Parts: sequence; structure tokens; C-alpha cells
Amino acid sequence: MTNDSVSKMCDLWQQSSNESRRFNQDDLRRGMSKFERTIRLRNLREYAAAGLVTAVFAYYGWVFPTLLLRLGCVLLILGTAYVAHQLHRKASARPAPVEMGLRNCVEFQRSELERQRDALRAVWSWYLLPLLPGMGLFLLGLFQFTKSVTEAADRPFHTGAAVVAFIVVAGCIAIVFVAIWLLNRRGANELQKRIDDLNRLTQDAV
Amino acid sequence: MASREELYAEVVREHGAALDRLARAYEADPGKCGDLLQDIHLALWQSLERFDGRCSLRTWLYRVGHNVAASHVANDRRTKSRMLISIEDVDLADAKADTADSAERNIALDRLMALIRELKPSDRQLVLLFLEGVDATGIADVTGMSAGNVATRIHRIKNILTNRFQGRKES
Repeated sequence: MTNDSVSKMCDLWQQSSNESRRFNQDDLRRGMSKFERTIRLRNLREYAAAGLVTAVFAYYGWVFPTLLLRLGCVLLILGTAYVAHQLHRKASARPAPVEMGLRNCVEFQRSELERQRDALRAVWSWYLLPLLPGMGLFLLGLFQFTKSVTEAADRPFHTGAAVVAFIVVAGCIAIVFVAIWLLNRRGANELQKRIDDLNRLTQDAV
Repeated sequence: MASREELYAEVVREHGAALDRLARAYEADPGKCGDLLQDIHLALWQSLERFDGRCSLRTWLYRVGHNVAASHVANDRRTKSRMLISIEDVDLADAKADTADSAERNIALDRLMALIRELKPSDRQLVLLFLEGVDATGIADVTGMSAGNVATRIHRIKNILTNRFQGRKES
């Protein structure tokens, strides 16, 4: 191997750009404002989505007359608010720029990946579980409401068919929830592999 | 202790061009490259308020620069859709290396840049620091890699630079 050719490539690289761009205070402040604007827009999107879900279930809670349905709507609204709060908290947990200077690249990237991995691993507790009680009550409420409306109209209520329909709907929701959990678990495993790769970089082979 | 503005001015004077090269090595799109460079300078400027001389200014700026750039790569949709490779998986031999054109400065630089952008962030950091002339101890300080890993990878980089860019095959 020729050290000469290697140092030539290093020289070539270092000469490739002698541009030393300096950003003045105004540029940097503009950069800060742009970043803050992006964060504000993201927050606005989150609040709008949570607001839409809240509006829909508030309307249902107002329209449907039974206690069970109303209680389901209230729990769904509370669950949505909790999920929105968690999403906001997790997305905002960005490291301060000073952390980037204090920590070396492996440490910094590892902590970022661990933060993302933990959020994905715990998705059932902060994303899925808060919505379950409301959904369960809402479905039970729908079942009860359908039964009472049918009986009030003097029409036969087929309990067996209604239970099957209830199970099908609940099953579909369960499948979606399980799929979300599995996808997130797979994502967390992928991140763990990258964390393991980084850990290997800090250890010398024995 | 110098003020943040003085430190920033010193960083730009001494290492501004290196930061420019770093941004270009992480981002091929000229518009996004400008944004990335501004993000690096912004993070650097903000971080310098708490710089306490625990490490050298050069180590600090490379850490900030590479950490911002690695986050940029991690959040980039284009990068997410393609597989980044380890330096250990880079072929030493390159068919294009034997052509007479490869000696030409711009072609060699373009190919080097393309190779760097294919690498995983940790390997990209190491290659860039090596090309900037940072020694093995300095590379370990910035990246956090063990001395053994830095030495192995530097050896690999030298092989790649020799074989792919000078047209010589290592025996």
C-alpha cells in the first residue's frame, strides 16, 4: 500500500472546497425561527387531528342517548387526548445542541436510537391501551342500543347474529391493534440491531 | 474564556471549509446541503454557549457537525429507502479505477463523494475525519469508537483509497 497515494487523496479532498461560509447573527436567527415554525406547524397538525377525533365522538356522545355509548365517547376522547399528549411529548424530546458537543457520535446516536426504540416498544401502553376502554364500551353500547331500538320497534332481535356481528367488528379492531403492535415491535428490533452495531464499535475484538 | 461569538468566529475561520465538505459528503442535493450546513452552524452556535474546554474546539465542532448530519441522514426519506453499507463491505477493486480518466481530480472526487454517501453514518464519520487529516486518537474522541476499531477501519480506508482511486491492486 502506498502512503503517498493515500495522502494525495487526503490533499485532494481537503482542497476540494476552501469555501468557509459564515452565517451572521441574522442568518442564525432566521434559522431558529424556521425551526420553531416547523415545530409549531407540527403541533398544529397534531392538535387538529386530536380535535377532529374529539369533535366526532363529542357529536356521537350528544346524538346517542344511552349512558354506555356516552361513557364510551368520553373515554375515547380522554384516550385520544392522552395519546396526543404522549405523541407531542415524545416528538418534543429532542436533545439540546450542547448535547451534540458533549457526547461523542456513538453515544449521541445510541441515545437517540434508544429513545426511539423505547417509544416503539411501549406503544401498547401509550398508544393502544388508552383507546381500548373507550372502544370496548362504545361497542357494547352500540350492541345494547341496537337491541333496545329493535325491540322498541317491535321487531325480533336475533341475539346470535348480533353477537357474531359484534365479534366480527371487535375482531377487526383487535387485528388492527395487534398489527400496529407487531409493526412497532419489528421497528424496535431493527433499532436494537443498530444499537448493537454501535455498541460493537466501542469494544475491541478480544 | 472567549465569548460564544468569538468561538464561533474562530471555528469558522479555522474549520469552516471542513464543515462545508462535511455537509456536501452527507447531502448530494445542493439545496438541502445548504439547509444542512445552516443547521450545523445553528447547532454549533447554540452549543458554543456551553463549551467549557473539556475537549478541543475541533473535537467539539466535529461532534456537533457529524451528530447533526447523522440525524439528517436518519430522518431523510431517500436514505431510509436505501440500504447503507459498512466500510467492510466496500469492494476494494473498482472497474472504473483502471481507466485513465480516474486520475482526473473531479472524477476521483465525485466517486469518492458517491462512495462516502453510501456508507453508514459511523463509517462516514470515520472516513471524513481521516480525509480531514484527524489522527486516530482524535477520530476516537469524536466518534467514540474503540482504538482497535478505529485502527482496523483506517487500514481498510487506506486499502480502499489505494485500490479504488489510484488503480493499484494490493497484493
